Amino acid sequence: MGKKTIAYIDAIREALREEMLRDPKVIVIGEDVGLGQGAFTVTKGLYQEFGKDRVIDTPISEESIIGACVGAAMAGLRPVAEIMFNPFMALVMDPLINHASCYKYVSGGQVKVPMVIRTLVCQGRGAGHDHAPFYASWFMHVPYIRVIVPSTPYDAKGLLKTAIRDDYPCIFYEHIDFYPRKPNLGEIPEEEYTIPLGKADIKKEGSDVTIVAILTGVKTSLSAAKKLEEDGINVEVVDPRTLAPLDKQTILDSVKKTGRLVIVETDFKTAGVGAEIAAIVAEEAMEYLDAPIKRVATADIPISFTNEKYILPNEEAIIKAVKDIC
Amino acid sequence: MHEVTMPKLSLTMETGKIVRWLKKEGDKVEKGEPILEIETEKVTVEVEAPASGILHKILAKEGEDVPIQKTIAIIREPGEEIPEEVAAPPVEAKKPEVVAVTEKPLERIKASPLAKRLAKEYGVDLTKIKGTGPGGRIVKEDVLRAVEEAKAAAVTVTPTPTPVTVEKAKVVPLTSMRKTIGRRMAQSLQTAPQLTITMEVDMSEAVKFREQITSVTEKKLNLRVTYTDIIVKAVAKALKEFPFINSRLEGDQLKLLEEVNVGVATAVEDGLVVPVVKNADKKSLIEVASEIRSLVEKARQGKLSIEDVSGGTFTVTNLGMYGVDVFTPIINPPESAILGVGRIVEKPVVINGQITIRPLTVLSLTFDHRVTDGAQAAVFLQRVKDLLEKPALLFIE
Repeated sequence: MGKKTIAYIDAIREALREEMLRDPKVIVIGEDVGLGQGAFTVTKGLYQEFGKDRVIDTPISEESIIGACVGAAMAGLRPVAEIMFNPFMALVMDPLINHASCYKYVSGGQVKVPMVIRTLVCQGRGAGHDHAPFYASWFMHVPYIRVIVPSTPYDAKGLLKTAIRDDYPCIFYEHIDFYPRKPNLGEIPEEEYTIPLGKADIKKEGSDVTIVAILTGVKTSLSAAKKLEEDGINVEVVDPRTLAPLDKQTILDSVKKTGRLVIVETDFKTAGVGAEIAAIVAEEAMEYLDAPIKRVATADIPISFTNEKYILPNEEAIIKAVKDIC
Repeated sequence: MHEVTMPKLSLTMETGKIVRWLKKEGDKVEKGEPILEIETEKVTVEVEAPASGILHKILAKEGEDVPIQKTIAIIREPGEEIPEEVAAPPVEAKKPEVVAVTEKPLERIKASPLAKRLAKEYGVDLTKIKGTGPGGRIVKEDVLRAVEEAKAAAVTVTPTPTPVTVEKAKVVPLTSMRKTIGRRMAQSLQTAPQLTITMEVDMSEAVKFREQITSVTEKKLNLRVTYTDIIVKAVAKALKEFPFINSRLEGDQLKLLEEVNVGVATAVEDGLVVPVVKNADKKSLIEVASEIRSLVEKARQGKLSIEDVSGGTFTVTNLGMYGVDVFTPIINPPESAILGVGRIVEKPVVINGQITIRPLTVLSLTFDHRVTDGAQAAVFLQRVKDLLEKPALLFIE
């Protein structure tokens, strides 16, 4: 198989384009996704290629974007919406939670709501309380919503294609740190490929401690692992890639091997992603733990325009957490 | 309401292990009826119901070690109502001060779940390990280190040609019986300077004697008299004549014991027990034989009482049936000597210049050198030999 190098942002566009070419029912909808090319140029060129019927610009009204997606999906389309910043997801809760997530089940399979919501986690840019927070556990809590958190170009393309073909609502998180091309290049196959939902990826093998990390936490954990190596601590980094469904087995197997667990997440700590993972490990692998489970997460404080460097997890915090239990 | 408590069966008993409940909650029990079995360091015994009624609540599970005097079950009268909190397991709360004074509250061992699991797997006692984790927590490494150290210690005692790796060993936790045997034997060897002397005995007469007796006892009493029985009887008679062997050393005093109670080392499935024939010198050979039969049967069934295994003043241990000739038995403390019996085997011997074939055995006497010396011990052994070679002497009081 041939390989090529691609940037994260281009991998996403490639996934969208390939799926639109493959299936005429796939549409892209959102604020400035058409003529505006997307606020961060993710959808650049799609309007020109597929036209205004399949790449739809909307007013600034998140609830109506998602409401339209739910109706379109029920009628047979496969919409891919863009909610420009993750906290705006608060505006789409009713159509998503109370309708889209439930219909296939409660209709006995007669109605399905296949839709993807791409949304951006804009941390570390001083974007403030209503742009920067990363809310993932909100949706992990709701049955039948897919929560996807790709951290590499390979994962982003493979998972987005799978999400578009999936028959349930999928929330697809992108992180602003992944958008600049140069630091976010990765190899992908030339040929078409997809990645199944619910399959974690071990980003680095190790023997002393397991770090389960998501999104930017993966990169930070890998660099922390390199430094910890100098102290003789051999870290395993597990990237779940999707939080719902969650690949419990890979996480449990890793913890059973290392006996220690640190969870690195950039959402708020309380009732966050790590709380669920820690609970699963405590429930199912207690007797393999040689130390308390540690969570490295964003402090439980509203994110302001200036406080991110103090409250977001960083390499130093990860190293400290690992050393605390090793 | 009647409480069933963990009985104190001996002076040194601190805890008892619940082996098996013979009754279930809700069963009717009669006063004096066995309701459970417990195991102490020495034996397994049945505990009887202290009163008649209904077994209302069992408070200690099978396999649990329970301190003496602690309530392990509640028996209620038929129709009696028992408030739930009374029947709830931690009864200690009811008597706070007494407990605080007499029992040191058990300190919680800080160990990681992984360390606990490994300790169980390898049979490591967590109370004996120092934790090196945060806050003194015992972690995986501490348990593995303890396993390594135990392995190293074992290797220095019995060097083996190939290094044994613990990882490949099947780990068998010691039963309380094994621990007791180990502790008592180590104590014996560490405190008593002991040595073994051996003497060959011509068993021709004893063989004939046994055949004659057994031909009668088998028909009349359904009892086969064994060589062990005859040896126990001979030893008992000799002990009466040599009181310094039938003795106990306490500090600077040697107590010459009046009673002659001969223990008979008996192999059981998971170890060794020593039931005791009390006043063996005063009993007839037939009495000794039938008592040994019943004690051995009880031993095999694990039904020996504390009484059955207490009070020994001397021990006989017979390995003849396993083809052993000579060995060095270890004194069963606080006794002063032990007699090992080898197999009876026909050998050519020279008698009056003629080679003849005789059934021979070897007696191995281990004695405490603090109590007596080789010459005196030899005289005692000579006397036992004499009695076995002329069994008719056993009938002279």
